[in-house]
Amino acid sequence: MTSAVRISGLTKDYGAGRGLFDLDLHVPEGEIFGYLGPNGAGKTTTIRMLMGLAHPTRGSASIFGADCWSEAVEVKRQVGYVPGEPPQFGGLRGRQIIAYLGAMAGGVDQGRVKQLSERLQLDLSRRYREYSSGNKKKLMLVLAFMHRPRLLILDEPTAGLDPLNQQEFSAMVREARQQGVTVFLSSHVLSEVEHICDQVGIIRAGRLVNVSSLEDLHEIRMHRVEVEFAGEVPVEAIRRAEGVDDVSAENHRVRCIVRGSFEPLMGAIAGAHVVNLTSHEPSLEEAFLAYYAGAPAEEATRC
Amino acid sequence: MLRYAFRLHRWGMIGYGVVLFAGVYAQAAAYSQVAGTTVASRAAFAHAMGLTESQLSFFLPLPYRIDTLAGYVQWRAYGWLSVALMIWAIAAAAGAVRGNEDRQLVDYWLSAGVSRLRLVVSRLAAFALAALVVVVAGGLGALIGAASSAPLDLGRLAGQSLALWVLAVAFFALCCLIAQFTASTRGAQAAGAAVLVVLYLLDVLARTQTSFDGLSWVSPFRWYDATNVLGPGGHLSGPGLLLCAAVILVAGGLAALAFRRRDLRGPLFGRPAAEVRSRGRKPSPLLSWPLARLLYRQRWILAGWTLGIAVMAVLMVSIAPGSIDSLINLPGMRALLTHGQGGDPYRAFIASYWFGLAPLLLAALAVHLVSTWSADDTEGILGSELSTPRHRWAVVLERGLLAVVGIAVAVAVGSLLAAVTAAGIGHTLDPAGVLRASWLLVPFALTFAAVGAAGGAFWPRAVVGVLGVVAFFSFLVWQLAPLMKWPSSIANLSVFQLYGSPLLSGVFWNGLWAMLAIVLAGFGLAAIQMQRREVDQ
Repeated sequence: MTSAVRISGLTKDYGAGRGLFDLDLHVPEGEIFGYLGPNGAGKTTTIRMLMGLAHPTRGSASIFGADCWSEAVEVKRQVGYVPGEPPQFGGLRGRQIIAYLGAMAGGVDQGRVKQLSERLQLDLSRRYREYSSGNKKKLMLVLAFMHRPRLLILDEPTAGLDPLNQQEFSAMVREARQQGVTVFLSSHVLSEVEHICDQVGIIRAGRLVNVSSLEDLHEIRMHRVEVEFAGEVPVEAIRRAEGVDDVSAENHRVRCIVRGSFEPLMGAIAGAHVVNLTSHEPSLEEAFLAYYAGAPAEEATRC
Repeated sequence: MLRYAFRLHRWGMIGYGVVLFAGVYAQAAAYSQVAGTTVASRAAFAHAMGLTESQLSFFLPLPYRIDTLAGYVQWRAYGWLSVALMIWAIAAAAGAVRGNEDRQLVDYWLSAGVSRLRLVVSRLAAFALAALVVVVAGGLGALIGAASSAPLDLGRLAGQSLALWVLAVAFFALCCLIAQFTASTRGAQAAGAAVLVVLYLLDVLARTQTSFDGLSWVSPFRWYDATNVLGPGGHLSGPGLLLCAAVILVAGGLAALAFRRRDLRGPLFGRPAAEVRSRGRKPSPLLSWPLARLLYRQRWILAGWTLGIAVMAVLMVSIAPGSIDSLINLPGMRALLTHGQGGDPYRAFIASYWFGLAPLLLAALAVHLVSTWSADDTEGILGSELSTPRHRWAVVLERGLLAVVGIAVAVAVGSLLAAVTAAGIGHTLDPAGVLRASWLLVPFALTFAAVGAAGGAFWPRAVVGVLGVVAFFSFLVWQLAPLMKWPSSIANLSVFQLYGSPLLSGVFWNGLWAMLAIVLAGFGLAAIQMQRREVDQ
């Protein structure tokens, strides 16, 4: 399978240990690649170099075989891009921005724009400064998708979108994949990418620490769970359950961490009188730190 | 809150502080050159200026005791500075009310528990502090400029400064109130400017026509004009100060009330009709064409500058006859006015007035264009454009062409109206000379655009301020060097020397080649740097 994105030894050194270091990555054509990492890990820096907006200190990046810096124009003929930070178009209206940037990209398919804006429920007659942050993101999505590019580079595309529009976005990405489009999608929310990505790369402190398939993600994934019982608390059974750690009991409540499947925990509490059960997904950084138990990034890379 | 609000005014404060200091200093220092050093020559100067007061009343209040340095500084410096400072007040108020809402700063302040009333009061107090610094800088300029000839009375200078300060704060409060009714920063600026023009015209008309006396008392400019405390025997207008203070309280209070009643980023009453009308309207086809799309985006800026330059051209030329008839009889003035003009003082006057001011206006237009390019760089628009398959050099080329077209149109309109106005008052200008003086303005203004394009590739935020300061001081040196008899080594530091005085003495070829070289080098360097630089940083 040919590479849509090939990155080799890519480094952007901002000094004082900040930046991106020795990134090697390849994204096969037709895949949806999730690029995960906490805030400040280097996701946007990577994307800016892919888009030819920033110089690498060393190393190289290419898209469909074209160098991202020296052949930037050729690269961008094939790419649709959603920036992490929406630009400030001020008083221009949505459709004016589409006409302005669309013409630079070779023309606007009005039917496609109409279809996308209706799908995302975006009013293109309003001024950009009156858009909410979610609507600004929707406009960026329309701009990225409207030319039917071969590669979509999306920097935290769902930030600011409501759950319904997040679902719509996921559907758009899946449809694009069915049409052979490659997607490079960054996020700091694990649950956001796990439903749509084929592969996931995890970056931390400027270094790629893991590239894994969706199944492997379950090792990292965890939930903080709190169970409240009406009567006796089966604390020992919970402690023995596979994938359940960090168990603490207080009065009629048990708190624990569940990695992977919930089945062992459900088996342990079966028969007990459960009056309440809550579960929440911690931030990626928290999950990541718990998974690697505070190991330095270099060590984590070897995992 | 006050400290942060004050910080938001810092660049305006520094810029206007420098302008007021230099402007007042220049007038004070140049008095002896303009009016002579003897009592008789100064009396003759005052008499001559008195004869031109109706023509000059568009720009300056009626002269009072300008046979003295203090009176001259009050008339020539503090007269026009009131308008200059009000332009800052309009921009600052629009930025404080609408600009900060557009940037969502107000959302954060309100969510942090700052009350709406406190926000308005803090912004008023912050501007008052910033304006105080600016006015004090002007006062220092007056003191230093006058120190060598006739030191000014500190108390009287403080009184004059107080009147200017109160006027600026009153205007800021008024514009804060006006901004509550608009939906955008540009709308607030336009509405504030419209109110300023109306109030200023009321004052101007009352300066020479008594029938406007009663009506003009609604204008704060009139209240300011009532103070002439700097000149010997002058007085500080108590009613004027009280009226300004009342405007601060009433307009500030109403602005706070209006702010309490409206939504953030919305006008006080309803939605703008344009929003409703715009639904279903197709975007302009101009947005799809290279250069045209940039002209479309900058259309209001270019139209505003062209209109402003046209108005100034008409005003400058129309005051020529009366001014010349008065000045021509002053000792030494005839020689100065007719020097190198084949004895035609009218050509000389128009050359020194209109084609002396036009380069500054066009340099300012060029700096404004540079500021829009810097804004595109720092606000992510350039990043969006470069996310499309677009060559980076094409961005620089398009910007350069925009500058050529925008400047050429403003020059053409200004010069055409200057020539037509001159013909209208019976003094036909030499068409070849006007054409020469006009087209040379294009490469001259482009030098600022080119240097801005090159500098913006390195320091997009700083380049606008630096260019503005260079343009202003170059202009001052250009204007003052002949009057102050400064050596050519200092006079040649001015960029304006490259333009020369083409209406009177032909094309300054060395200057033209230098300007063309700067334009090519500046845009060339900008294109090279654009190929190499990072954006969105």
